[in-house]
Amino acid sequence: MTRRLGRTRALRLGRWALCAASLLALPTQARAEDNADSSNPLPIEIHAFVSQGFIKTTSNNYLAENSTHGSFEFSEVGINFSKQLTDRMRVGIQLFTHDLGPLGNYRTRFDWFYLDYRFWDFFGLRAGRTKLPFGLYNENNDIDAARVPILLPQSVYPVSNRDFLLAQTGGEAYGIVPLASAGSLEYRLYGGAIFYDTADATSTLSNVRGPYIFGARLMWQAPLEGLQLGASAQRLRLDGDAVFSADQIAQLQMAGQLPADFSGPLKFHIPATLAVASVEYSAHDLLLASEYSRWWVSLNSTVPAFSVPETVSDRFYVMSAYHVTPWFTPGLYYSVLFPNVTDRKGQNPPSGSPPGTAPVGRGAYQHDLALTLRYDLNSFWLLKLEGHYMHGTAGVTSALNDNRPLSSLTEDWGVFLVKTTAYF
Amino acid sequence: MTHRMSSTRLEAPRTTRRALLWSLFAFSAFGGRARAESTREFRILVHPDNPAVALSRDFMTDVFLKRTTRWPDGETAHPVDQRASAGVRESFSEGVLRRSVSAVKRYWQQRIFSGRDLPPPELESDEAVVAYVLKHRGAIGYVSSGAKLGRAKAVSLQ
Repeated sequence: MTRRLGRTRALRLGRWALCAASLLALPTQARAEDNADSSNPLPIEIHAFVSQGFIKTTSNNYLAENSTHGSFEFSEVGINFSKQLTDRMRVGIQLFTHDLGPLGNYRTRFDWFYLDYRFWDFFGLRAGRTKLPFGLYNENNDIDAARVPILLPQSVYPVSNRDFLLAQTGGEAYGIVPLASAGSLEYRLYGGAIFYDTADATSTLSNVRGPYIFGARLMWQAPLEGLQLGASAQRLRLDGDAVFSADQIAQLQMAGQLPADFSGPLKFHIPATLAVASVEYSAHDLLLASEYSRWWVSLNSTVPAFSVPETVSDRFYVMSAYHVTPWFTPGLYYSVLFPNVTDRKGQNPPSGSPPGTAPVGRGAYQHDLALTLRYDLNSFWLLKLEGHYMHGTAGVTSALNDNRPLSSLTEDWGVFLVKTTAYF
Repeated sequence: MTHRMSSTRLEAPRTTRRALLWSLFAFSAFGGRARAESTREFRILVHPDNPAVALSRDFMTDVFLKRTTRWPDGETAHPVDQRASAGVRESFSEGVLRRSVSAVKRYWQQRIFSGRDLPPPELESDEAVVAYVLKHRGAIGYVSSGAKLGRAKAVSLQ
């Protein structure tokens, strides 16, 4: 079985590698054709990226199953096609596949696809599967070439949420409103549904879906060149079923967590509200950014013992990057996550929480100091090296660590990453 | 003595901090002057039928970053860039967009791969830019200061 899975994965990888290799040969030709026919201002644009990373932790498995021994399960491949149909209308589609520990497993999916009609600069509509504008960088969570760090601050942009918080299927209104000498205001309003790939979830979850998501982002481009301030908020709900084996049901019934007549599955709803305030200063070679985010999340279940009252989490980071030369950009950030604002030290877990759900001890915080060195080897190939000093285990997954409670994992640990990306 | 020593110890980081801040300001100031001078190294050109004679830097930035897609008369704007390694691209990017070419490329990477927008076409030479501008009424481009403009109209930067 394992061998068969391995072969399937190898076949998928091989197919993608072949695809990527042939596509990487395209850009020169495509650009040459564009240039030769410069009379056509609206060509089809093809862009793609291929990334391979390596992750190693000093202790605690993080993002990948075996990161303490080093893991290459950190790959991304994407290709998109965009066409400006008229001056106002554009269509586009991006195929994406990735592997990051237990996530992705090279299943190919539509990352986004849209039909975009820009009536005026201050009002446009987009329909399809569109990326969610949340904070400064949510839309770029999977675009290695578009940022300095390998991992964006995980307090605000956790990669584990990528599959259900990166894009929605629905519609969006957007525009930029000039404010004369006061700069300009960019707005994005969206609403739709979320598709969640249950294959990435644990074996007990099924039929997970997001019946709705709606939200907005406002970014004010201040008169000071390169300064923008913004706020984003979104409301969503995830629904699903938890399916237990007969043994698990028996155990849970004995522990009094499931009623004696329980026949399953256990239905749950997770309503959540996410908000973030953002500030970014980007001028010449300097980038400074900071964001503060707060998430309100609760878990409602058909079995009261599995319900979790609303938990409020705090998330913050400050980040800088500087283009020392066109080929070398170091970056630094400090990020902090508190999964429960009422108990930032994990000493007083709220009463009424099901056992094991409230963050306790070192599992109640994560301080992350990260240094990145980005080398742009040429205009379509980059290499990044990154080191993190981590204090606390919030954001780590128990499932990757033999289901040990987060409070029992190593408190001070390090993460080292290397990643190379080819793109055009 | 102990007090003096500790105060010296306290002062040292402050002095270092001040020196760092001054270096940053000095670097920004000199960097800004060098960049302002670099604006002389290119000329901005538009189609001869375009009524514009002078353009503000803000408008140029909005057009080249596609925040604005139209000229004031409603004509669609077609900005055109030069290849990333061209010296004139660097002068234009620093002098007008107030961003390095790398920063602008990163801006476009974000938009391309999030499905937001597409960058202006990148042409290989001044001649190709002049030819492009002459073919499209809404086009706007930049060339080296010594390039032959043909019928293309040079506009000044306000």
